[in-house]
Amino acid sequence: MAELDDIIHQPLRLKIMAALNALHPAQGLDFPRLKKLTGATDGNLGAHIETLAKAGYVSVEKAFVGKKPQTTVTATATGRGAFARHVATLREIIATAEGK
Amino acid sequence: MINSQEAGAALMEIESLSRLVRQSVFYRHASTMLILWGVATFIGYLLSFFAPAAAPVIWSVVIVAGVICATIIGALNKKREGVSTFDARATAAFTAFVAFGCLWSIVFGNMAPRQIGAFWTTYFMLPYVMTGFWFGRVFVVIGMSVIALTLLGYFFAGPWFTLWMAVVNGGGLLLGGLWMRRS
Repeated sequence: MAELDDIIHQPLRLKIMAALNALHPAQGLDFPRLKKLTGATDGNLGAHIETLAKAGYVSVEKAFVGKKPQTTVTATATGRGAFARHVATLREIIATAEGK
Repeated sequence: MINSQEAGAALMEIESLSRLVRQSVFYRHASTMLILWGVATFIGYLLSFFAPAAAPVIWSVVIVAGVICATIIGALNKKREGVSTFDARATAAFTAFVAFGCLWSIVFGNMAPRQIGAFWTTYFMLPYVMTGFWFGRVFVVIGMSVIALTLLGYFFAGPWFTLWMAVVNGGGLLLGGLWMRRS
Protein backbone atom coordinates (compact mmCIF):
# COMPACT_ATOMS: atom_id res chain seq x y z
CA MET A 1 0.00 0.00 0.00
CA ALA A 2 1.23 3.52 -0.83
CA GLU A 3 2.19 5.79 2.04
CA LEU A 4 0.12 8.80 3.00
CA ASP A 5 1.66 12.15 2.08
CA ASP A 6 2.94 13.60 5.39
CA ILE A 7 2.76 17.16 4.11
CA ILE A 8 -0.87 16.89 3.00
CA HIS A 9 -2.01 14.69 5.88
CA GLN A 10 -1.90 17.50 8.47
CA PRO A 11 -5.59 18.53 8.99
CA LEU A 12 -5.32 22.19 7.98
CA ARG A 13 -3.07 21.45 5.01
CA LEU A 14 -5.53 18.75 3.93
CA LYS A 15 -8.30 21.38 4.02
CA ILE A 16 -6.21 23.86 2.03
CA MET A 17 -5.37 21.27 -0.63
CA ALA A 18 -8.98 20.00 -0.76
CA ALA A 19 -10.23 23.56 -1.30
CA LEU A 20 -7.69 24.37 -4.01
CA ASN A 21 -8.22 21.05 -5.78
CA ALA A 22 -11.94 21.71 -6.10
CA LEU A 23 -11.13 24.60 -8.43
CA HIS A 24 -10.19 24.71 -12.09
CA PRO A 25 -6.35 24.36 -12.38
CA ALA A 26 -6.06 27.99 -13.49
CA GLN A 27 -8.05 29.25 -10.51
CA GLY A 28 -6.75 30.11 -7.07
CA LEU A 29 -8.24 31.33 -3.81
CA ASP A 30 -7.39 34.59 -2.12
CA PHE A 31 -6.22 34.52 1.48
CA PRO A 32 -9.44 35.80 3.16
CA ARG A 33 -11.60 33.31 1.26
CA LEU A 34 -9.25 30.45 2.10
CA LYS A 35 -9.26 31.56 5.73
CA LYS A 36 -13.07 31.58 5.79
CA LEU A 37 -13.33 28.16 4.12
CA THR A 38 -10.81 26.45 6.37
CA GLY A 39 -11.72 28.27 9.58
CA ALA A 40 -8.02 28.93 10.28
CA THR A 41 -6.37 31.94 11.89
CA ASP A 42 -4.15 34.29 9.84
CA GLY A 43 -0.87 33.08 11.36
CA ASN A 44 -1.74 29.39 11.23
CA LEU A 45 -2.94 29.57 7.65
CA GLY A 46 0.11 31.54 6.53
CA ALA A 47 2.49 29.01 8.14
CA HIS A 48 0.80 26.02 6.52
CA ILE A 49 0.62 27.68 3.11
CA GLU A 50 4.35 28.28 3.40
CA THR A 51 4.93 24.58 4.13
CA LEU A 52 2.87 23.61 1.08
CA ALA A 53 4.68 26.20 -1.07
CA LYS A 54 8.10 24.90 0.04
CA ALA A 55 7.02 21.40 -1.03
CA GLY A 56 5.99 22.82 -4.42
CA TYR A 57 2.35 21.90 -3.86
CA VAL A 58 0.98 25.44 -4.10
CA SER A 59 2.08 28.68 -5.69
CA VAL A 60 1.59 31.98 -3.89
CA GLU A 61 1.05 35.14 -5.87
CA LYS A 62 1.05 38.56 -4.24
CA ALA A 63 -0.42 41.48 -6.11
CA PHE A 64 -2.15 44.78 -5.51
CA VAL A 65 -5.84 45.12 -6.34
CA GLY A 66 -6.29 48.87 -6.32
CA LYS A 67 -4.37 49.86 -3.18
CA LYS A 68 -5.07 46.61 -1.35
CA PRO A 69 -2.49 43.80 -1.28
CA GLN A 70 -3.98 40.47 -2.33
CA THR A 71 -2.44 37.04 -1.84
CA THR A 72 -3.72 34.29 -4.11
CA VAL A 73 -2.90 30.63 -3.52
CA THR A 74 -3.15 28.11 -6.38
CA ALA A 75 -2.51 24.36 -6.39
CA THR A 76 0.38 23.41 -8.70
CA ALA A 77 0.39 20.35 -10.97
CA THR A 78 2.73 18.67 -8.46
CA GLY A 79 0.33 19.49 -5.64
CA ARG A 80 -2.67 18.20 -7.55
CA GLY A 81 -0.82 14.94 -8.29
CA ALA A 82 0.22 14.53 -4.65
CA PHE A 83 -3.33 15.26 -3.48
CA ALA A 84 -4.79 12.71 -5.92
CA ARG A 85 -2.33 10.06 -4.66
CA HIS A 86 -3.17 10.95 -1.04
CA VAL A 87 -6.90 10.55 -1.70
CA ALA A 88 -6.26 7.24 -3.51
CA THR A 89 -4.32 5.99 -0.48
CA LEU A 90 -7.15 7.01 1.87
CA ARG A 91 -9.58 5.05 -0.30
CA GLU A 92 -7.20 2.10 -0.36
CA ILE A 93 -7.05 2.07 3.47
CA ILE A 94 -10.84 1.90 3.62
CA ALA A 95 -11.04 -0.78 0.93
CA THR A 96 -8.40 -2.89 2.69
CA ALA A 97 -10.26 -2.61 6.01
CA GLU A 98 -13.48 -3.68 4.28
CA GLY A 99 -11.63 -6.64 2.77
CA LYS A 100 -12.15 -5.61 -0.85
CA MET B 1 -0.54 4.75 9.11
CA ILE B 2 -4.10 5.68 10.01
CA ASN B 3 -7.09 3.35 10.44
CA SER B 4 -10.09 3.15 8.10
CA GLN B 5 -12.28 5.35 10.29
CA GLU B 6 -9.73 8.16 10.22
CA ALA B 7 -9.36 7.69 6.46
CA GLY B 8 -13.14 7.88 6.07
CA ALA B 9 -13.28 11.05 8.16
CA ALA B 10 -10.53 12.64 6.04
CA LEU B 11 -12.39 11.76 2.82
CA MET B 12 -15.60 13.22 4.21
CA GLU B 13 -13.75 16.41 5.15
CA ILE B 14 -12.36 16.64 1.60
CA GLU B 15 -15.79 16.08 0.05
CA SER B 16 -17.46 18.62 2.33
CA LEU B 17 -14.85 21.30 1.61
CA SER B 18 -14.92 20.63 -2.14
CA ARG B 19 -18.68 21.13 -2.15
CA LEU B 20 -18.31 24.35 -0.17
CA VAL B 21 -15.68 25.70 -2.58
CA ARG B 22 -17.71 24.85 -5.69
CA GLN B 23 -20.74 26.53 -4.14
CA SER B 24 -18.69 29.58 -3.17
CA VAL B 25 -17.32 29.97 -6.71
CA PHE B 26 -20.79 29.50 -8.19
CA TYR B 27 -22.24 32.09 -5.78
CA ARG B 28 -19.54 34.60 -6.70
CA HIS B 29 -20.24 34.36 -10.43
CA ALA B 30 -24.01 34.10 -10.00
CA SER B 31 -24.10 37.14 -7.69
CA THR B 32 -22.67 39.34 -10.45
CA MET B 33 -25.40 38.15 -12.81
CA LEU B 34 -28.10 38.67 -10.17
CA ILE B 35 -26.93 42.24 -9.55
CA LEU B 36 -26.77 42.92 -13.30
CA TRP B 37 -30.30 41.62 -13.94
CA GLY B 38 -31.57 43.29 -10.78
CA VAL B 39 -30.43 46.69 -12.05
CA ALA B 40 -31.69 45.96 -15.59
CA THR B 41 -35.09 44.83 -14.33
CA PHE B 42 -35.41 47.82 -12.00
CA ILE B 43 -34.67 50.22 -14.89
CA GLY B 44 -37.03 48.33 -17.21
CA TYR B 45 -40.00 48.50 -14.83
CA LEU B 46 -39.29 52.08 -13.78
CA LEU B 47 -39.22 53.30 -17.40
CA SER B 48 -42.30 51.20 -18.21
CA PHE B 49 -44.15 52.86 -15.33
CA PHE B 50 -43.53 56.34 -16.73
CA ALA B 51 -43.93 55.35 -20.41
CA PRO B 52 -46.25 52.30 -20.52
CA ALA B 53 -46.82 52.61 -24.27
CA ALA B 54 -43.11 52.19 -24.92
CA ALA B 55 -42.82 49.09 -22.68
CA PRO B 56 -42.18 46.59 -25.53
CA VAL B 57 -39.31 48.73 -26.85
CA ILE B 58 -37.96 49.38 -23.33
CA TRP B 59 -37.89 45.67 -22.49
CA SER B 60 -36.33 44.71 -25.82
CA VAL B 61 -33.50 47.19 -25.15
CA VAL B 62 -33.15 46.08 -21.52
CA ILE B 63 -32.90 42.38 -22.44
CA VAL B 64 -30.43 42.94 -25.30
CA ALA B 65 -28.30 45.26 -23.11
CA GLY B 66 -28.44 42.70 -20.27
CA VAL B 67 -27.29 39.85 -22.52
CA ILE B 68 -24.44 41.99 -23.91
CA CYS B 69 -23.31 42.96 -20.38
CA ALA B 70 -23.56 39.33 -19.22
CA THR B 71 -21.41 38.24 -22.16
CA ILE B 72 -18.82 40.93 -21.37
CA ILE B 73 -18.75 39.91 -17.68
CA GLY B 74 -18.32 36.28 -18.73
CA ALA B 75 -15.42 37.23 -21.03
CA LEU B 76 -13.76 39.26 -18.24
CA ASN B 77 -14.14 36.31 -15.83
CA LYS B 78 -12.56 34.04 -18.40
CA LYS B 79 -9.64 36.43 -18.86
CA ARG B 80 -9.14 36.86 -15.10
CA GLU B 81 -9.64 33.27 -13.94
CA GLY B 82 -9.08 31.20 -17.05
CA VAL B 83 -12.52 29.60 -16.89
CA SER B 84 -15.60 30.38 -18.89
CA THR B 85 -18.75 31.20 -16.93
CA PHE B 86 -21.02 32.32 -19.74
CA ASP B 87 -20.34 29.92 -22.59
CA ALA B 88 -22.16 28.99 -25.80
CA ARG B 89 -24.35 26.45 -23.99
CA ALA B 90 -25.47 29.06 -21.46
CA THR B 91 -26.27 31.48 -24.29
CA ALA B 92 -28.21 28.78 -26.19
CA ALA B 93 -30.12 27.78 -23.05
CA PHE B 94 -30.99 31.42 -22.31
CA THR B 95 -32.12 31.99 -25.94
CA ALA B 96 -34.31 28.87 -25.86
CA PHE B 97 -35.78 29.95 -22.53
CA VAL B 98 -36.64 33.45 -23.78
CA ALA B 99 -37.97 32.08 -27.10
CA PHE B 100 -40.30 29.72 -25.23
CA GLY B 101 -41.54 32.60 -23.11
CA CYS B 102 -42.14 34.79 -26.19
CA LEU B 103 -43.97 31.97 -27.95
CA TRP B 104 -46.51 31.57 -25.16
CA SER B 105 -46.78 35.16 -23.94
CA ILE B 106 -46.82 36.95 -27.30
CA VAL B 107 -47.63 34.51 -30.13
CA PHE B 108 -50.19 32.16 -28.53
CA GLY B 109 -51.12 34.09 -25.41
CA ASN B 110 -53.34 37.12 -25.45
CA MET B 111 -52.04 38.72 -22.31
CA ALA B 112 -52.62 42.20 -20.94
CA PRO B 113 -49.46 44.19 -20.02
CA ARG B 114 -50.04 43.44 -16.33
CA GLN B 115 -50.26 39.71 -17.04
CA ILE B 116 -47.13 39.84 -19.21
CA GLY B 117 -45.26 41.53 -16.34
CA ALA B 118 -46.35 38.87 -13.87
CA PHE B 119 -45.72 36.05 -16.37
CA TRP B 120 -42.11 37.03 -17.21
CA THR B 121 -41.15 37.59 -13.60
CA THR B 122 -42.55 34.29 -12.34
CA TYR B 123 -41.19 32.53 -15.46
CA PHE B 124 -37.66 33.91 -14.85
CA MET B 125 -37.83 32.91 -11.19
CA LEU B 126 -38.60 29.29 -12.10
CA PRO B 127 -34.98 28.41 -13.06
CA TYR B 128 -33.76 30.22 -9.92
CA VAL B 129 -35.90 27.94 -7.79
CA MET B 130 -34.85 24.83 -9.73
CA THR B 131 -31.16 25.84 -9.63
CA GLY B 132 -31.48 26.15 -5.88
CA PHE B 133 -32.30 22.44 -5.56
CA TRP B 134 -28.72 21.71 -6.68
CA PHE B 135 -26.65 24.78 -5.86
CA GLY B 136 -28.01 26.33 -2.69
CA ARG B 137 -31.19 27.18 -0.87
CA VAL B 138 -30.62 30.90 -1.32
CA PHE B 139 -31.82 30.59 -4.94
CA VAL B 140 -35.01 28.86 -3.79
CA VAL B 141 -35.61 31.61 -1.21
CA ILE B 142 -34.98 34.42 -3.72
CA GLY B 143 -37.12 32.78 -6.44
CA MET B 144 -40.05 31.90 -4.17
CA SER B 145 -40.01 35.31 -2.47
CA VAL B 146 -40.07 37.21 -5.76
CA ILE B 147 -42.86 34.95 -7.12
CA ALA B 148 -44.94 35.43 -3.95
CA LEU B 149 -44.43 39.23 -3.96
CA THR B 150 -45.21 39.37 -7.69
CA LEU B 151 -48.54 37.59 -7.15
CA LEU B 152 -49.26 39.85 -4.19
CA GLY B 153 -48.65 42.91 -6.37
CA TYR B 154 -50.61 41.45 -9.29
CA PHE B 155 -53.73 41.08 -7.19
CA PHE B 156 -53.41 43.99 -4.75
CA ALA B 157 -51.05 46.72 -6.07
CA GLY B 158 -53.63 48.25 -8.39
CA PRO B 159 -52.18 50.97 -10.67
CA TRP B 160 -48.82 50.80 -8.85
CA PHE B 161 -48.10 47.29 -10.08
CA THR B 162 -45.25 48.29 -12.43
CA LEU B 163 -43.57 50.36 -9.73
CA TRP B 164 -44.13 47.52 -7.26
CA MET B 165 -42.38 45.16 -9.69
CA ALA B 166 -39.42 47.53 -10.05
CA VAL B 167 -38.88 47.32 -6.29
CA VAL B 168 -39.82 43.67 -5.77
CA ASN B 169 -38.23 42.12 -8.85
CA GLY B 170 -35.31 44.47 -9.48
CA GLY B 171 -34.66 45.09 -5.79
CA GLY B 172 -35.09 41.41 -4.90
CA LEU B 173 -32.49 40.28 -7.42
CA LEU B 174 -30.14 43.09 -6.42
CA LEU B 175 -30.37 42.32 -2.70
CA GLY B 176 -30.04 38.58 -3.39
CA GLY B 177 -26.89 39.20 -5.43
CA LEU B 178 -25.36 41.44 -2.76
CA TRP B 179 -26.16 38.91 -0.05
CA MET B 180 -24.55 36.11 -2.08
CA ARG B 181 -21.44 38.23 -2.59
CA ARG B 182 -21.06 38.56 1.17
CA SER B 183 -21.63 34.87 1.95
